[in-house]
Amino acid sequence: MQQREEKQLEASVESLISRVAHLKNSLQSFIYKLENEYDRMAWPSVLDNFALLSGQLNTINKLLRNEKTPSYRNQVIIPLLLSPDRDEELAKLTEQRVHVFSHEIVPDHLRTKPDPEVEEQEKQLSAEAARIGQEVAQKQIQTLNKLCSSLLEKLNNPRDDRDAETSAVRQNKQWFNPIDTTALVAAVGFGKGLSKCRPPASVAPGHPGQTMMTGGPTLQQVTIGPSGHQAGIGSSVAQQQPGQPGKMPSSIKTNIKSASMHPYNR
Amino acid sequence: MEAPPVTVMPVTGGTINMMEYLLQGSVLDQSLDSLLHRLRGLCDNIEPESFADHELVYLLKGRQGNPFILRARRSLAHPTAPWHLRYLGQPEVGDKSRHALVRNCVDVAASHSLPDFLNEMGFRMDHEFVAKGHIFRKGALKVVVSKLSRALVPGNTDNTEPLSLSYLVELSVLAPAGQDTVSEDMRSFAEQLKPLVHLEKIDPKRLM
Amino acid sequence: MGVTCVCQVPVVEGKSVQQTVEQLHKRLEQLGAVKQGSFFVDCETYHATTNTGAQPSKLLYVMHNSETPLSCLVLFDGGPTLAADANFDVLMVKLKSHFQNAKGHKVESRGARYRYADFLIKVGTVTMSSSARGISVEVEYSACVVPGDCWNLMKEFMQSFLGPSVPDLPSVFSSKAEGLFAPADCMDTMNQYLELFSKIRKQQVLPGSGVR
Repeated sequence: MQQREEKQLEASVESLISRVAHLKNSLQSFIYKLENEYDRMAWPSVLDNFALLSGQLNTINKLLRNEKTPSYRNQVIIPLLLSPDRDEELAKLTEQRVHVFSHEIVPDHLRTKPDPEVEEQEKQLSAEAARIGQEVAQKQIQTLNKLCSSLLEKLNNPRDDRDAETSAVRQNKQWFNPIDTTALVAAVGFGKGLSKCRPPASVAPGHPGQTMMTGGPTLQQVTIGPSGHQAGIGSSVAQQQPGQPGKMPSSIKTNIKSASMHPYNR
Repeated sequence: MEAPPVTVMPVTGGTINMMEYLLQGSVLDQSLDSLLHRLRGLCDNIEPESFADHELVYLLKGRQGNPFILRARRSLAHPTAPWHLRYLGQPEVGDKSRHALVRNCVDVAASHSLPDFLNEMGFRMDHEFVAKGHIFRKGALKVVVSKLSRALVPGNTDNTEPLSLSYLVELSVLAPAGQDTVSEDMRSFAEQLKPLVHLEKIDPKRLM
Repeated sequence: MGVTCVCQVPVVEGKSVQQTVEQLHKRLEQLGAVKQGSFFVDCETYHATTNTGAQPSKLLYVMHNSETPLSCLVLFDGGPTLAADANFDVLMVKLKSHFQNAKGHKVESRGARYRYADFLIKVGTVTMSSSARGISVEVEYSACVVPGDCWNLMKEFMQSFLGPSVPDLPSVFSSKAEGLFAPADCMDTMNQYLELFSKIRKQQVLPGSGVR
């Protein structure tokens, strides 16, 4: 019976050590990245690191809460052998943090009390508590309880509404309009919807002899050939086009129709 | 008459055979702030640049074939800055494995005599527009969010009318030909802009 | 960039181009000019394959100058000029179906660059299809941008090593009268080189011009 418990304890301590080692490794690598690659680091990878850490902390918490894990609180550690000499094995185990297991450091490392500074603070607080009277304290407790419960209420109740709202926004809100995308891409691509500079009267000063296009294919009318400037391939298309201005592929028609519903498209 | 092959042609300087990888999309005016916010978080931590440009699109028509298109851009915000002349080749969209539209691209900075000069070369202006917006960078990636407006009076950039109720969003990278891995980076970046913007590989031929 | 004058120096009777250039170098060094590296100016000629009008199309010249190594300087005969970056060369490749490179028309001038106080002197051998055709001398007075104010000084300086064969005020300036020289680009210089190159190109047609 006792043996089984011992085994269980050993196993759980071992798995705890390995989990903590994982956590330590990822913390180390994250800190290294933050210190040495902060200029190149992308936000998504920072988030990834945080996610990893939080996941590892979660597993440790789960492990501690696990039924099979014996309560470490009930275990007692007694220093059996103290020595002022350097212990290489101990140094290795603690990654050179602790070199000797002596009278000086054992009370610190095996202490069950809080840190001296914390102890000091606690002392101050209890002195403070003793100073104010019973009634005042009761009153303060009541006020705090009231504040807390109202805050909890506020946090709990509208959360459902808010969640519902944001998800609805996510789903229904339009961030972009595909029709606009089409119109804008067509405009930068081949000047669709952009006024043609036909009126020769409006030639800017300093453009002598600029004759504006009066005939021939404009950019909008010309179909872009499949392979650049190879005259042979493109020529038949370009010559054909002005001859049949009324005839357009049906895809254009639908484009124009959908675009015309837009307030800015004529 | 057959022109000599490219290798025989004299090229003293410049970077030959650069490709532009492009994804396009748009965002409604009312969602612009959310998008800018997200871009500020995702992109390089430098002040985003704003710009106001006037683009003039010129055509040169040969006896046969398609017209040769050049785009001349000038900054309205910095009138003394050089003009930007741009040649864009035919887009390659067929390759399904590539996540972005790819086209040949030549960028030339030019002096202010550019419009006169293009006219002398035989180019004629086809259309013009005004683009105002913001530029973001993330390494080689460039994100341009811009409002397109048409000029109500030709040549007058003060009197314009917006083309739509949306902003055009373009994600582009310039890279030497064959570096298709950039399109992967572009796709993962575009993924992070959803659902604000859906950046897609849009074949302009489909829209003609 | 100051005021620049580009002129052709005739080859000395009975001497080769190379020998005449060396003679010029010697004279400059005797004056106290210090050699500061080398220079080149080149020019490609293009003609439009598509004639839009009835008149013959103008020639397009794409030039480079080592003084502005990242620029292309593009000119039409007497027409507008354009200063662009080196990618313009790439653009001309894209435009090859509309503008054809007149091969064998590539002209360039290469040589030494001398500094004498505020003067910059470039003595170049003009070559066409790898044969020397003549000598160019460019003199720049960098302390002034108004040609009318410094022309006499420049002329006197040029006489000191070129002798009596000093050119008149370049026509690019005479047409500008008292106006300021455009200092931002080297278009005036390129126009002068262009003039000189076409003069030398025409010389080649004349038999026995003596520039061998």
